Amino acid sequence: MQKINKNVVLAVLTLTSLVFLLFQLYYYKFYLSQKNGAVFSKVRGSQSGQDSTRWHVVRKFLALISSHNIPVYLIDPLILGLVDKDIEQIKSSSDGPSPECKYFCAPRDFTTFALLDKTWKHEVGLFRTAEKMGFQWLKVLNKDPRLDGMDDLSGTEIPLHYIFKLASHAIHLVVFYERSGNYLWHGPLRLKQHMDRKFVPFRKLHFGRYPGAYEKPELLLVSIDDLKVQIPKNPSSFLEEMSHSRFLECRYREARAFFQLYPDDASVDAVEFRKRAKSLLHLAALTLNNLGVKFWLSSGTCLGWYRQCNVIPYSKDVDLGIFIRDYKADIIPAFQKAGLPLKHKFGKVEDSLELSFQGEDDVKLDIFFFYEEDDHIWNGGTQAKSGKKFRYLFPKFTLCWTEFVELKVQVPCETLQYVEANYGPDWKVPVKTWDWKSSPPNVQYNGVWPVDEWDDVIQIY
Amino acid sequence: MDEWKPNPVIKPHKKRSWYLAWKYKLMNQRALRKLCQTGAVLFLLVTVIVNIKLILDTRRAAYEEEEESAQDYDDELLNVEAPRHPVSNKKVLDVEVYSSRSKVYVAVDGTTVLEDEAREQGRGIHVIVLNQATGHVMAKRVFDTYSPHEDEAMVLFLNMVARGRILIFTIKDEGSFHLKDTAKNVLKSLGSQVAPFLSWRDMWTFVGKKGGEVYGEKHAKSPALSTWGDPVLLKTEVHLTSVEDAECHWPDTELNRRRRRFCSKVEGYGSVCSCKDPTPIEFNPDPLKDNKVFDVPVAVIAGNRPNYLYRMLRSLLSAQGVNPQMIMVFIDGYYEEPMDVVELFGLSGIQHTPISIKNARVSQHYKASLTATFNLFPDAKFAVVLEEDLDISVDFFSFLSQSIHLLEEDDSLYCISAWNDQGYEHTAEDPSLLYRVETMPGLGWVLRKSLYKDELEPKWPTPEKLWDWDMWMRMPEQRKGRECIIPDISRSYHFGIVGLNMNGYFHEAYFKKHKFNTVPNVQLKNVESLRKDAYETEIHRLLREAEVLDHSKNPCEDSFVPDAEGKVYVMFIKMEQEADFTTWTQLAKCLHIWDLDVRGNHKGLWRLFRKKNHFLVVGVPASPYSSKKPSSVTPIYMEPPAKEEGAVAVPAVAAAEQT
Repeated sequence: MQKINKNVVLAVLTLTSLVFLLFQLYYYKFYLSQKNGAVFSKVRGSQSGQDSTRWHVVRKFLALISSHNIPVYLIDPLILGLVDKDIEQIKSSSDGPSPECKYFCAPRDFTTFALLDKTWKHEVGLFRTAEKMGFQWLKVLNKDPRLDGMDDLSGTEIPLHYIFKLASHAIHLVVFYERSGNYLWHGPLRLKQHMDRKFVPFRKLHFGRYPGAYEKPELLLVSIDDLKVQIPKNPSSFLEEMSHSRFLECRYREARAFFQLYPDDASVDAVEFRKRAKSLLHLAALTLNNLGVKFWLSSGTCLGWYRQCNVIPYSKDVDLGIFIRDYKADIIPAFQKAGLPLKHKFGKVEDSLELSFQGEDDVKLDIFFFYEEDDHIWNGGTQAKSGKKFRYLFPKFTLCWTEFVELKVQVPCETLQYVEANYGPDWKVPVKTWDWKSSPPNVQYNGVWPVDEWDDVIQIY
Repeated sequence: MDEWKPNPVIKPHKKRSWYLAWKYKLMNQRALRKLCQTGAVLFLLVTVIVNIKLILDTRRAAYEEEEESAQDYDDELLNVEAPRHPVSNKKVLDVEVYSSRSKVYVAVDGTTVLEDEAREQGRGIHVIVLNQATGHVMAKRVFDTYSPHEDEAMVLFLNMVARGRILIFTIKDEGSFHLKDTAKNVLKSLGSQVAPFLSWRDMWTFVGKKGGEVYGEKHAKSPALSTWGDPVLLKTEVHLTSVEDAECHWPDTELNRRRRRFCSKVEGYGSVCSCKDPTPIEFNPDPLKDNKVFDVPVAVIAGNRPNYLYRMLRSLLSAQGVNPQMIMVFIDGYYEEPMDVVELFGLSGIQHTPISIKNARVSQHYKASLTATFNLFPDAKFAVVLEEDLDISVDFFSFLSQSIHLLEEDDSLYCISAWNDQGYEHTAEDPSLLYRVETMPGLGWVLRKSLYKDELEPKWPTPEKLWDWDMWMRMPEQRKGRECIIPDISRSYHFGIVGLNMNGYFHEAYFKKHKFNTVPNVQLKNVESLRKDAYETEIHRLLREAEVLDHSKNPCEDSFVPDAEGKVYVMFIKMEQEADFTTWTQLAKCLHIWDLDVRGNHKGLWRLFRKKNHFLVVGVPASPYSSKKPSSVTPIYMEPPAKEEGAVAVPAVAAAEQT
């Protein structure tokens, strides 16, 4: 009897141990997955709120907003994702009551809306009404980036984000500002010292980790879950835009310091060149954007942006980079149609492709195509007379938006590494004599084109 | 767990027998069995503890990460706002006031609030106003009462200061020469014993509460005409009152909150801070019908002349069709008081770190302001540019709304300006009349964005060039033959007396008598005739209609123009080539209009009014309108006075022979 009991005890203990092991496994899985997804919030949401809380809060918020004639539109990526799937149905559906609450009832901590700054006056009345309706609200102010520039200006801080909280649900209202370059900008969400860090779980917000740049969206008034809201006309392209919307401000303060050290060239020639380079860049951006080809500022143009927030007056050309996977055969005819004849074409799509177009008055547009490898990215160069090939290596980078000569363009987010790879650690010192074959620290000799391919890979017009 | 694992060397035939063998073995070794059991229990306990610890650890890690990433959302500039009211909780202020020939200073609680030891500057009576509850400096003024009329300004200022404020006076160098009895009586009424007897080169300090007690006074008499009184240093204590006592009890509205903030910080703005019936700070002028400039940004260029800015913004916000949301005030420097004024009116103010000196500083400030304006309003095609020393006409926006389409459509236009350089009381008449002129008047004007962005901004004078921005804009390289549209009667009025290029004499001579439109809703006539070609037709029509004046008479005399009304007269002056303005300058001098450089001309033609008649002046033969001159008329030539003769020009009618 006693012996059996002991065995039973042992068995029970083993079982407990196993259960613990299982629990441990589960817990690990749980913890890891919540890092990637929003499992935590799901759990919390379902704990704290019924399905309809969110719907009610959104409805109240929309009522508040419309009572003050403030036009907002929905930019919540999760809802827009769902809406996008049924977009045709939503567009065509009449105002009749929808059978089920599909979009606004999924339990979430937030619903995100956008507001165009210029469409409303910063009135206090809104917040009073909001309080009366039971909302708690938070306003996040920060510097106005439109005042950032070569001149040292400072103005009143502008509202970048509003959060309206009611019960367990919060509305995140992102304020978009129009900026020169014909695009919309929203600011980062940064909490000042005195602010309530626990007002909402800030890190779960979809907007605000970084500033972002967007095209002006076309809006569509739809009725979803019996709520009338404006949404971007094309939710999927908005979502696509959102995935790479991070915006970098030019480093104006450093640029000012640079010009303290090296005063700007204000000669007639420099002014003229900058003007031409600017209009060439505008034309190139227009052409490539129409084709849907992503590009970024490369080489000297990128250095000019990063170092001095302007075109380097002695650089003589405009340099753009394009990933080879984005290459389209239409690029050459499109530029020719825009009045920029092809000047030369080096390499081929499979290897070291480089295009040059002749802009007005001797300003050249160079387009380098970049090839991605596992641990680096490179572009090629070709010396016309000898057929020698060169290779320029860059660390991997992603693309960010910025504003340059009144244009919204992309630059490598890791600009410093990019510029340093290309120009070395002394990139801050202006150098007027630059040999593209030997000066860049990231250049590698890459053999010679086979002579029989020369006609194809070295085309000069 | 090793003890629990079967020995891998033993390979039983059957599972069952292996188990039995193992069991048997264990049962037979009691001690070993006990050990194993204890080991198992211990191990299990350890597992449980480790597990619990793990749970706690991961939980803490998750929490920390959340905390950490929330830090991404912290403002990097943790601008710790230092308490800015070090004196606010003190009851007593120590005040030190020093007066001497070459230096004055005032220190409040050890902080120097005034120090002036610059040579040949700051002569006269320095006045400082402190808030009686906080001890903050609310106003600082210096009245050069050695010179005439300054004492009147001081009386005006002292009367504006609210009762209960603390006033501090100190003299630098000399402050009694033109200190009249009225002013002395005012000082006496404030409690000064010495003021009535202040005399030549006396040193004097005084601290008192307006309408209340005297905290101290010191005086040093000048022993002789050629020497100054000994320096005096007054040390005294001032008792602060409570904040409630120092403020007015206005109803609690948004506007009054702004007013209260303003009035607790600064003094010298008159009735805006009166406790009873303060002047309004919101004006709500009538909106304009079909306002074409409602969305045009208005950039107000300001420096540190807050009283001017106050007057300017009042008139601007009272103009019909104004859109306060589009107004941006750009302040050159981090001055507090102009910003207070801007905030009083609920407008947006932007401060600019000054670059360079003198004219170049102004020019850089203009550039920064214009760039920022177009950045803030990227949709705007135009910007209205105003300065802080302008009164704005009630129909300013109406005038622009009716004419702005020309700037959009006519490439030959450079700007629209509200200012007529030649529009004085005696030379301007018709509020509905517009001109085209080759000069850029400034002083309230509209700038086209494309002109700024494509042409002006890239080559704007750099900080080391000490150029006036307006002179630069008038240069042919920039203007490129384009013209500005101006009204006959100006829609702005330049009231600034102190400024970089301005002084009282200059203002009196050139700006004081400028005509300023006060009629609302003026319907402009013939706006379309302001287009390039239409204007030529219009001028030719006018010249055809015009009566040629008697060229034998002296054009400076009033009798040169007949005593008629509503007529059009023309005179011809000598003008050898396009840049020959010898006679014009002399004529402008004797007509008492702008003569410092050439303004208001259009192809060698000037248009103004004399005795309510339209008066045209054509330069012959340089002007294309010379052909309208009857052959019998000899153009008038006026010689510039010889240089030794001084500034006052005596016009000489030389070639007025009649054949």
